Amino acid sequence: MGEYAIEVKNLCVDYKSLKSYSIKKMLLRGKRNEKELFHAVKNVSFSVEKGEIWGIIGKNGSGKSTMLKAIAGIFSADGGSIDLKGHSVSLLSIGVGFQKNLSGRENIILAGMLLGFSEAHVREKMDEIIQFSELGDFIEKPVRTYSSGMYSKLAFSITAILETEIMLIDEVLSVGDEHFKKKSLNKMKSLINDENRTVLIVSHSIPMLKELCTKVMWMHDGEIVKIGEPNQVLKEYSEFMK
Amino acid sequence: MGSWEIPVNEEEAIGVWVRDELSIWETKMKRIINDLKKYGKYVIYAGRSELKAEVANSYLNWLWWVIEPFCFMLVYAFVFGVIFDSQLQYFPIFIFIGITVWDFFNRMLKASVSSVKNSKAIVSKVYIPKYMLILVKGYVNGFKMLVSFAIVFGMILVWGVPITWKFLFIIPILLTLFVITFGVCTFLLHFGVYVDDLANVLNIFLRMMFYLTGIFYDLHAKVGAHFGTKVADWITELNPVAVMLASLRRVLLYGELPHYKWMIGWFLIGLVISWFGIRLIYKNENSYVKVI
Repeated sequence: MGEYAIEVKNLCVDYKSLKSYSIKKMLLRGKRNEKELFHAVKNVSFSVEKGEIWGIIGKNGSGKSTMLKAIAGIFSADGGSIDLKGHSVSLLSIGVGFQKNLSGRENIILAGMLLGFSEAHVREKMDEIIQFSELGDFIEKPVRTYSSGMYSKLAFSITAILETEIMLIDEVLSVGDEHFKKKSLNKMKSLINDENRTVLIVSHSIPMLKELCTKVMWMHDGEIVKIGEPNQVLKEYSEFMK
Repeated sequence: MGSWEIPVNEEEAIGVWVRDELSIWETKMKRIINDLKKYGKYVIYAGRSELKAEVANSYLNWLWWVIEPFCFMLVYAFVFGVIFDSQLQYFPIFIFIGITVWDFFNRMLKASVSSVKNSKAIVSKVYIPKYMLILVKGYVNGFKMLVSFAIVFGMILVWGVPITWKFLFIIPILLTLFVITFGVCTFLLHFGVYVDDLANVLNIFLRMMFYLTGIFYDLHAKVGAHFGTKVADWITELNPVAVMLASLRRVLLYGELPHYKWMIGWFLIGLVISWFGIRLIYKNENSYVKVI
């Protein structure tokens, strides 16, 4: 312990002047759209030790998901720095990155390769992923034929079985039927017990965060309100939300 | 402020500038090579699965890669060979080569304008250097182009076109075509994210270019007959697709050498465009997700 897996310093993420424009509009109005600036994450700093499980809570639009995307390397930071110390990272969120016309099996390989695993390694884990996802014969069908529940099950299975060192989980533990929910929660717990794994969970479910997390971070309007013991922070948060 | 080193003379200033540029060049080059190593396998696998999916959706789909250009060839051969009475030697093969090359260029450009938007599901979940999306399309359309070239060779055998060692030039010509197309696609990918109706503008531009590339007529001869050889030279040489097309026809059909000067020129230009295109994408790609 004592070794940091994630170090975030003065992180700022803005959505600014990035509205797309069209040539038609420019011709008609003779000017570009006005620039709009929105600070989604404001000057946030924190460090997560290796093996810790952090819960992130806050009302909608408080910058939680944006921050996870920045940590996963999908968004650029407009200020500050994120240091993952070379750990592999995966983001798990609703509506997953699948190619709709390809089969579930091929999507597993593609997703695995994008997460930085070799094709051979993904193939090795293939049966385990398929079994965990409970998709059965559907795995050979194009992903566009899947229901939303099947989508999320497959996405969860890929990230859970392939096991990156840092897992960022955005709201997905509440998908699927009761049975799958229980199963994924158990899987999460076993993953969490691994001392080398660092996890950040964004969720609105207070009981779940209480059960899983070693620390909770409360965000509001892109800023950190508090980081601390789950019980205390969650208690203050629920009072605040009343 | 005190540590500022002011170059003593001009020579030294240029030396400093060259050194800085070279070090930027080196780090960027390393990044490109690393990314190609890291994502190369993904590109190949993704391209292959896309082709497979196309075939799986309907068993006759791969036949369409052949039937479609073949039917267009028949139409052009009828319209321009019979009605407009074209006297070009091996006219059907002449057209087929044109369609094959044009299809590749056309499909690549159209795909790259919307490639980030179309891959939203992936790019908003995981980091991938965005020009890899172009390479996936390059794999898919490159494969289709090769299938089409197999037909060209079949036709060459049937028509009894003499086969010479000059056929080997097909490799550098297609390589040049690929580099040029990739370079243009990097810029289209970038601006396609920010400009909503770039696709419409591109369509008009491509249609214009289609007629000015000489897919179904001898561009150089026709333009030359109307405006003189000087203009004909310019209009063919300044259009990279026309240069590649004319060169392919020369080596495959008429046993002549390709326009190698312009080929080398366009190859180098293609490399420069790709270089700046990749740098542009690296600089901006992490903001793309915020727009789409």
